[in-house]
Parts: sequence; structure tokens; C-alpha cells
Amino acid sequence: MQELDDYINRVQHLPPAPKILPQLLSTLSRDDVENSNVVDLMMYDPSLTAAALHLCNSAFFAGKAPATNLSEAVSRLGFNKIYQLVAAVSGSRALSPPQKGYGINEGELWKHSVTTAVAGQLMAKELGDDENLIFTCGLLHDIGKVVLAQALEHIYAKMVEDVEKNQSTLLDAEKRLLGVQHAEIGGRLLARWKFPPNIVAAVWFHHHPAMATVHSRLASYVYLANMIAYFIGHGYGHHAFALRGRAEALEILGLSGDDLPHFMIQTYENFEVVEALLTAQV
Amino acid sequence: MPPTNLPGFENKVIVGIADMAVSNNPGIILTTYSLGSCLGVAVFDPVARVGGLLHAMLPDSSLDPAKAAANPAMFLDTGVPALIRTVCDLKGEVRRLKVYLAGGAQIMDSTGFFNIGKRNYRAVIDLLAHNQIKIEAEHVGGFVNRTMHLSIATGGVSLKVSGQAKDIALCKN
Repeated sequence: MQELDDYINRVQHLPPAPKILPQLLSTLSRDDVENSNVVDLMMYDPSLTAAALHLCNSAFFAGKAPATNLSEAVSRLGFNKIYQLVAAVSGSRALSPPQKGYGINEGELWKHSVTTAVAGQLMAKELGDDENLIFTCGLLHDIGKVVLAQALEHIYAKMVEDVEKNQSTLLDAEKRLLGVQHAEIGGRLLARWKFPPNIVAAVWFHHHPAMATVHSRLASYVYLANMIAYFIGHGYGHHAFALRGRAEALEILGLSGDDLPHFMIQTYENFEVVEALLTAQV
Repeated sequence: MPPTNLPGFENKVIVGIADMAVSNNPGIILTTYSLGSCLGVAVFDPVARVGGLLHAMLPDSSLDPAKAAANPAMFLDTGVPALIRTVCDLKGEVRRLKVYLAGGAQIMDSTGFFNIGKRNYRAVIDLLAHNQIKIEAEHVGGFVNRTMHLSIATGGVSLKVSGQAKDIALCKN
């Protein structure tokens, strides 16, 4: 743990914290939540509010007449949609700049993150789990890459060589070359930002879902959604497929191998949602 | 009558995921981006000068027959025959077709549950072998994603592989 904190403390430019998300998630999980609770949380961040309204009025989400204020947007779109818009807008601040260390161009990590979020949400909907929670985990699962990218930029060639020569996973190559890897850094960062333990564990163990113990179900969603995003070609750097197959992720969710193509098709059919959320910018 | 394509300007036609396009217009370049575990299949008849490009997601239409009926390009076992048929509609002939494959990236998977890249490749190999069509060149598997281009003017096929600065020529024409 100290090692992770030391690493994070040494990094000069940390991504901005999507602070509103844990609060909003906990507000929305209450049975007696009202529109005004959501609006109260959002109004302290004017640029977030403006971006959410803009997205709400974009071609994809817009209704007949544009929403002119937050309260209207919340009641029109419903809590789930509003949550996803807010998550997309605040996530884009951290995830849309380029991460050269991974050979990822501007926007590629962001596209990968949004696709993972949407894939996870579709799975959660069908299997009856908390869509917003899984959307959030999917969106933030690679936040550790933003932290590591600065260091990796200088040793990128070595990492590629390590993957090719030793047939090692990207995760192992990171650990060997930097002493830390992106999943644990991401998990630790979210913990420092006061995200709840379930989201922290899902991100921390998104390459080892069984190790997430009580949160292994959530981590399995992120593991599979991440893989679906890779499979259908959405946003990745060099050697993105250098990751290990974990059959336990299917088992934990009660799925079989044949369910994976099914969720790939569903994600493909929701590309317009992905595209709409990608335009979220603050 | 003005020429449809000005010299030096080529029109790029983007083939999406679960999508295909066929052309005999020499001004056209067919391009498909982000082949992950998906497989790109390019075919070209150098005599009729007609070619096509398919970007299929999954190996087998039995995974979802209804979707396959609506969009044959989603699966290789329906997409490849549809691609070849459409090329033949434009006077292409099967025996003259040059076939190129790219994509089918595969994670490190000893479980076999996540081998969609391999299964996509297998599906095409079997189908082509069954119809006695040989593969001219391929760049498949590995951990990388790829972009594939087919020039209708030349029949040339080139690839951009993630993390590599230079394009790879599958067929230099």
C-alpha cells in the first residue's frame, strides 16, 4: 500500500478526481431520492452542469424541446440517464487526454472506457445488477493508466519488448518495469478519492476478479466488459490483447462462453449510446 | 462530362464493424478500422478489377440466426459468401479472386472461453478450404489491433498495426 501511495505522490500531474460520482451514487441508491437531491449535488459544479445539459440536448438524448435547466433535464431523462451523463462528463476530464506511454492516442482511452462502461451496464441490466454502479466501474477501470502513462512514455520500447519476448501480460510488464501496475494504482487512487470499497475493489482487481473476494461479482463485470471493448476494437494501445483469460469471471456471473458473443452484439448495437457519451467534454 | 474522381484524389469508403462494401470504381479505397478479435476479409479480382472488404465480428451465424438474417456481415459464415456473391455480381469470378485476411487478435487464454479471435480465423479458413479458394496473404492473431485498406485501382492491400509506425503491405500493387 505504501508503495502505491509513494508512487502516486511522486506523480506530478494526477488526473482530476470525479468527486461527484460517489456522492451521486449514494444519493441515487436511496429509496426516497428526489430530483432536488440530485440537482443540489450537481449545481456546485457549473461546468459539469453546463456539459450535462449540453449532452442532454444533443441529437441522441434530446426530446422534443430542449431542457433549459438541470431540474428539467433530471425529470426528463430520469436518474439512470442523468447519472450516466454526469459520469461521462466528469470521467472525460480524467480520461480523454492522450496516454503516450501505452501508444494510446488522444481520446482512445476515453473511447475504450466508455465502451467498457456501456458493455458492463448492458450486462448488469440483463443480469439484474446495479447498472449505474457497474457503469462507473467500467468507466474508471483504467484510470491507473493515466497515472502510469507519464513514466511509461520513457520506457515504452522496453515494455513492448517485454511483452513480445517473454509473452508476458501488460500488467506483469508494468509491474516488472515500474514496481506497480495500473489496476492497483487505479484502485488506490479511487480509495484516496473516497470512492466506496466496492468500486475500489472492482477496479483494483479487474484483471483478477476472483481476488476481489466479496466484490468479485463487480470485478467480474469489469473484467468481461473490458474484454468486450477490446474484442470489438474500441480504443486501445499497442499489445492491448496481452491479458490473461479468466474463466472464473464467467463462472462468478453464472455465464457461459457463448454469452460473450451475445454481449458483444448488444454492445455493438448500442454504439450510438457510446458515440453520444463520447462527446461529453468539460 | 466532368470526371467522377479528380486525379490524385481518392475516395475512402469506411467499412464499419459487422459491415461490408464492394466496388469496381478505381477511385475508391475501402478501409476498415479497429479490427480487434474481429476479422477483416479483402477480396479482389484483378481481371474484372472489382473488390470488396468485410469486417465480421463473430464466427458463426448459429450464435444468433435472426441477426445473421438481418445483417449477414456480422458473422463470417454468412458474411464471406455474401461478400463473394456481391463481387461476382459485378463480374468477378471466384477462381480469380485474391483473398487477404487481417485481424483475429487473441488474448492469452488457456481456458478456451475467450478464443473468439481464433474461432473467427478458423471459420474463414474452413469456409475457403471447403470452396477451394486459397488465401493470398494474411496478418492475423497476436495482441494487436489493425486497420485494413483495399485499393480498387491497384488491388493493393495494406495494414496499419497498433504501435507500429510503418504500414504493412499485404499485397504491393
